[in-house]
Amino acid sequence: MVKVEDIQQCAAGLLEKGQVKSVLGFRRGTAGAMAEPCTITEAAEAGTLVWDPTCLNNLALYLVKDRKQQAASKTPDIRPIGIVAKGCDSRAVAVLLQENYFKREEVFVIGVSCEGTGVIDPKKVATLLKGRSPSRVEFDGADGFKLTLRGGEMQVPAREILADRCLECRAASPALNDVVFGEPSGERGYATPFHAAKEALGASETERWAAWEHHFDRCLRCFACRSVCPMCYCPECVVDSTSFVIEPQTSAEEKANRIKWCERSPNTSESAVYHLTRAIHLAGRCVDCGECERVCPVNIPLRLLNTMLEMEAFEMFHYQAGHDLSQASLLSSFRDEDPNSFIR
Amino acid sequence: MSNPSQTTATAPTAPQEHEPRIVAFQCKWCTSAGSDLAGVSRIQYPANAVPIQVMCSGMVSPMYVLSAFNKGADGVLVSGCHPGDCHYMKGNFFARRKLYLVQKLLQFIGLESDRFRMSWISAAEGTKYAQVISDFVRDMKALGPQRKLKAKR
Ligand code: SF4
Ligand code: SF4
Repeated sequence: MVKVEDIQQCAAGLLEKGQVKSVLGFRRGTAGAMAEPCTITEAAEAGTLVWDPTCLNNLALYLVKDRKQQAASKTPDIRPIGIVAKGCDSRAVAVLLQENYFKREEVFVIGVSCEGTGVIDPKKVATLLKGRSPSRVEFDGADGFKLTLRGGEMQVPAREILADRCLECRAASPALNDVVFGEPSGERGYATPFHAAKEALGASETERWAAWEHHFDRCLRCFACRSVCPMCYCPECVVDSTSFVIEPQTSAEEKANRIKWCERSPNTSESAVYHLTRAIHLAGRCVDCGECERVCPVNIPLRLLNTMLEMEAFEMFHYQAGHDLSQASLLSSFRDEDPNSFIR
Repeated sequence: MSNPSQTTATAPTAPQEHEPRIVAFQCKWCTSAGSDLAGVSRIQYPANAVPIQVMCSGMVSPMYVLSAFNKGADGVLVSGCHPGDCHYMKGNFFARRKLYLVQKLLQFIGLESDRFRMSWISAAEGTKYAQVISDFVRDMKALGPQRKLKAKR
């Protein structure tokens, strides 16, 4: 069992010794039982850190945000940052390191193993409790959660309310870490890896298109999925050409001829371009933290697109995102025995 | 009220066979030269393919493919040099990996898997070029127009 005091002490120690400028972690939030991400900069604040099954967010996103902030600052503070990292968060840090987004010594990973469980899916909890929300969610034993409700306590097997990505997780303890709390843990046997993607592939072509047409049609193009993803760090996304400067002398022809890969309107066809592009740009990079799917206001199963590509990467190219820092990335490497039979 | 001239213009005629539009991204060094050879050898093949010369199959971004489908292509072909023959040594190996994933992705969302193809055609394979295009056009005629990813403009 991970003791939250250990995490707090570790964070306080790092801040006291000045080893890090801040620690990214979780604290009690204002939305019911859910924890929220926080940045602490003083050792005295370390007591506010929490660790429970509601620590959903992928904190690697805030490393990216800090990096962008420092790049824009006149007096950048490049001291290392500490980050409380679950298995998926640490994989995200590993991919960022692999892509040289920052240097290894600029981040201190306080690894926390998810051990036998992981984090909850708030939607599953709401379904289970018929819309009531718990005031506390805690780990309970090796494979269960304890929910505190107004009427009392309730024990739930982890399997029932665990987030989808945790069910399929293959590396529940952070492989990349400077210090790690909790027992090492790999696959837990809730669901086979890539279960959801394989199941979706079982449907016929017509059924698959019917489903995805419906999803693309519903997409609002709010770009929440892009904003929350630690891997979507480009300053300008290829789907919106914000750097196309329109000046008084820009001719109508120039405006018409500028490259637009997809229109901004949330049509089925344009959203399809957006999602397929996003999926392919995340191939070999998506660490399956499930954040994109969690934040989508219209419940588009975005994880499927990404895990499907991760499955191909794993099965055909023996590549796992965030697994090996020294490896060349998926799309910048090849092997002679890569599949060739699909080519005429 | 119907305008008589319009009525005649849209008078029912025999349903026309769908003429597919195929966008072919061809590497400059092999497939483009191959298509030239097909031309100078006067090999007959359907004119439905729009060839787009690229410097290497490795530079074909997945967005080119998606964009072609978005703009109404019935089929997309990416063609480059045979493995080992790349002018830039390894561009086609990168292309192979990347476009394999694109193909799988398109299949996953339910686009007919036949609509995206890749081929290796060398500068000496004019007949192969003609064959690949003829096969593609034949299969696309059978599949009918691509409406799934096409923008409704
Ligand atoms: S979060 Fe959902 S609705 Fe928003 S852009 Fe992404 S897929 Fe579309
Ligand atoms: S694509 Fe989604 S699951 Fe993958 S890293 Fe980004 S937010 Fe996480």
